[in-house]
Amino acid sequence: MKSKTIRAALVGAMVAVAALFVATTRARADHDGMHHPIYMPNVNNIGNPALQPPPICCLPGSPFAPGVPVPPNMGYYGGHVQVTPKIYLVFWGWGQAGAFDHTTPGAPTYDPDGAAQRMTNFAKAMGGTDWAGVQTQYYETVNGQNVNIQNPANQFGGTWYDNTNPIHDNVSGLELAQEAQRAVAHFGVTDLNNSQFIIAQPQKYNEAGFNSGAGYCAWHDYTQPQYYPGVQAGISFTNMPYVLNSGTSCGQNSVNSGFYAGRLDGFTIVMGHEIEETVTDPGAEDVINGQNLGGWYDQSAWENGDKCAWVGYTDGITTPSTIPGGLNDITGNDGKKYPVQSLWSNDAAGGTGYCAGAGNDLPA
Amino acid sequence: MSRAKALVVLIPAALALLAGVAVASSTSVTITTPKEGQSFSKKRVPQMPIVGGVTFAAASPNTSLFYVRRDGCGTSDDNPHLSISTGTDAGSGCGSLINGIVGAGGDADAGAFVDYPSADGMPLSLDASRNITGTFDIQGFFGPAQAGVMEADVSMEALVNGEGVPIGSVTEMVVLDPTASDNLINFTITPNAALDKTDLSGIDLRLHLHGPYAFSGFVATNGLSFVNVPSYTASVNRAVLLSLDDPTFASPIPVAINSSFNGWSVVIPTPAVGKHTLYAESVQGFDTSSVVARHFSVTK
Repeated sequence: MKSKTIRAALVGAMVAVAALFVATTRARADHDGMHHPIYMPNVNNIGNPALQPPPICCLPGSPFAPGVPVPPNMGYYGGHVQVTPKIYLVFWGWGQAGAFDHTTPGAPTYDPDGAAQRMTNFAKAMGGTDWAGVQTQYYETVNGQNVNIQNPANQFGGTWYDNTNPIHDNVSGLELAQEAQRAVAHFGVTDLNNSQFIIAQPQKYNEAGFNSGAGYCAWHDYTQPQYYPGVQAGISFTNMPYVLNSGTSCGQNSVNSGFYAGRLDGFTIVMGHEIEETVTDPGAEDVINGQNLGGWYDQSAWENGDKCAWVGYTDGITTPSTIPGGLNDITGNDGKKYPVQSLWSNDAAGGTGYCAGAGNDLPA
Repeated sequence: MSRAKALVVLIPAALALLAGVAVASSTSVTITTPKEGQSFSKKRVPQMPIVGGVTFAAASPNTSLFYVRRDGCGTSDDNPHLSISTGTDAGSGCGSLINGIVGAGGDADAGAFVDYPSADGMPLSLDASRNITGTFDIQGFFGPAQAGVMEADVSMEALVNGEGVPIGSVTEMVVLDPTASDNLINFTITPNAALDKTDLSGIDLRLHLHGPYAFSGFVATNGLSFVNVPSYTASVNRAVLLSLDDPTFASPIPVAINSSFNGWSVVIPTPAVGKHTLYAESVQGFDTSSVVARHFSVTK
């Protein structure tokens, strides 16, 4: 009787474990099925359900809280991180006919607003800053050892003005991934794990979802055959539209108020968001055949950029830089100012976590 | 005046005008020494004089007049801007809601300002030794409630090398006349001296109206609101770049331009034995001439 009871208990436990496994697998499969890039909603769409990351298996999401830091802390989901990040900028079609509808005296025709130059300067200057230093608390686990993200002064991989492969308006995510693959070849990159590719688009040729008013400023993703068929697997890339087209909803004048001084604010805020999310979660939360490729995010699948996006920004009513964790100018390693958003730091606020790195952290 | 004499006067004038137009749109450079194909003995001529001619557009003091415009008011093409063109503007009547609080001590500030960036007239070489002056003609600020002081914050910003740089700002007081259809805000801005003789890629004029007695109205366009920016007829930043055997001018050799800005010269150590090419180009502000080349050889 006793052995029957034990056997029954064991069978019951096995059934329960099997049921949990099936449920988990189904949930992961659902996560797979709901794959989409990790969006950065614009100011007016922070709480838009369509732009939230796919829910993590089996845990409820946190309520949306537009414009304020979002607890709780992030966790590590087992994928790789970019320990020694290299950022490659691809200015796809910026020199192509029709890429811009205006010129500016003294500026090149392929960059009349100076956006490409600003993004390039930022990518060169962000390495070694306190802002990028927020990332060094996060790590990947390899053979049981934690390997922390580094913050070297030079995280810039290079720029490529690709005017050979034609771009067009309303490009698809697949086309952006294909351009990222061409960039891998162009730069001769072999270490994909530590490399990321920003596919920046000119004023008149942008990605379809951005153009359609879906409500995001940019997104990042990770190429996998089922999502980007025909594209080499394992490329971390960012869809970086010409955010000035979205004006203040993607950050124009959100930190610097002068017409010209703040006109390009959105480029470094948005690109910085995507760069650092890719550093801590290059796998973009992908779950492939039950294996989680994701790095760091919270239980609502919010990455370190999502959790601090647009903090303090109320479209000109308040000054976000005066609010802890709000948008602010940082000083790059070239001594120049660059507007950024803060990044979620698990270590901040005595381990409770908060948005940090933008020079307006919570008092220690 | 006879017809022949008139032609004598008119033809040079027309040529001068044409020349002026041509010069204003470009700069050019020549190399006169060495001659094409000339040979030098390095032993006899250890130092090589290089001489040339150059043309630049005349850079005389000027005043650039920009009109406040706002084509397409109330449409998706609403486009506040500055333009050197005047004429009827469909933007006249675009309202500004200020919603003042009547009475002393109130200063309603809706935070609303309007930017008027330049749409043309650029580049502009700023003469910061003189003041910027202008007028905003505001209309619709009438009626018994709108009788009192209103503040107008006027600021100007420049686009320099892709960066925004403040030119200057001023706060002017205007006493709203409840019976007047037009209230004039005449402003004077002392420009940032650091921008003197700088080539600007753009300018932006910002107007911010606020005050307890101001409720609503609009900035009149149609030539009634404008700004005068002290400038030069062309950039005063002039240079000739010389390069030995490098058409990219990666390390240009500095040369001296004469006081008439029509010639240049430099002496360089005679280069190594062999064939060489000198490249020259002139630069005025954002304007760069065609590159000219001169070949010469050096013997022992």
